[in-house]
Amino acid sequence: MTVFALIIINKAGGLIYNRTFHEAGLNKLSTNDYLVLAGTFHGVHAITARLNPLSNPAARRISTASSGAQTRPEPPSGLEVLESENFRMQCFTTLTGIKFLLFTDTTQANVDLTMRRVYDMYTDYVMKNPFYQLEMPVRCDMFERKLASYIREINNR
Amino acid sequence: MVVYSFYIFDRHTECIYSKSWLPPPTSHDGSAAAAAAAAPPPPTTTTAPHTTASDNNNDAKLIFGTVFSLRNMVRKLGGDDDAFVSFRTAHYKLHYYETASSLRLVMLTDTATPSMRNVLHQIYINLWVEYVVKNPLSPVEHRGGRGVRNELFELGLDQFVRGLM
Repeated sequence: MTVFALIIINKAGGLIYNRTFHEAGLNKLSTNDYLVLAGTFHGVHAITARLNPLSNPAARRISTASSGAQTRPEPPSGLEVLESENFRMQCFTTLTGIKFLLFTDTTQANVDLTMRRVYDMYTDYVMKNPFYQLEMPVRCDMFERKLASYIREINNR
Repeated sequence: MVVYSFYIFDRHTECIYSKSWLPPPTSHDGSAAAAAAAAPPPPTTTTAPHTTASDNNNDAKLIFGTVFSLRNMVRKLGGDDDAFVSFRTAHYKLHYYETASSLRLVMLTDTATPSMRNVLHQIYINLWVEYVVKNPLSPVEHRGGRGVRNELFELGLDQFVRGLM
């Protein structure tokens, strides 16, 4: 059970946080590559939300025209879990559009719970930090420390 | 387990085969058509077949773009030996299999389906190689889907997928 890395992307597709917890898990990329990756993923995420095979545009048009607000369609959801041979990536999108990407090994269980804890920490130590500016890179000491100790606990389990 | 659709892309990034097992949207239109019948302008009925055809074409392009970007992302992060297998959203799951000759097979299913990598591999060996590659009348390059839409391949694929569901 290993958590490899965490990436946070703001609602405009910019990389605001990036940290590796386990060196051997993923390839080492340059900061520039991480920025490109964040932007690419932001775009792909928007496309995956549109690709839903069950909601063809004709059906959507009719449901909005005939029944109005009574039957609200399910909100579109973009990519949530990506699997490859070497790792697994879980994506959590907050209601405000911030994306948390958690890279783990393929056997990791309960990633939802881990993600939840990371999000809690983000709200507690980043959003409540009076010096943090929205949409800007996260540089909060408390967040760094709490996150590091929490992930270390998981990786050593 | 439900299979929604299936796509094949060749090494020139062109979509050479696509098939959908979704019920055509006409059944959905049927109930709504009665409600819409009262409305005087009937433009939807005439344009519907055209838009669905182009939608399908656009979907294939969007799927290829997605799969291509994710594959490159996975290779960058996981190393050159890593391979993108699947992704899932709240509504569907996409499975991906790439052969050594850069033929890409993509399948969209419901979210509860386990990995379909072996299924796509089976489609490649048992149907693609048997009925398309070994067909002496089929061209080497399937530009515009030529040589893929033969009876044996289509029938075999339909039977195989329906057997899974």
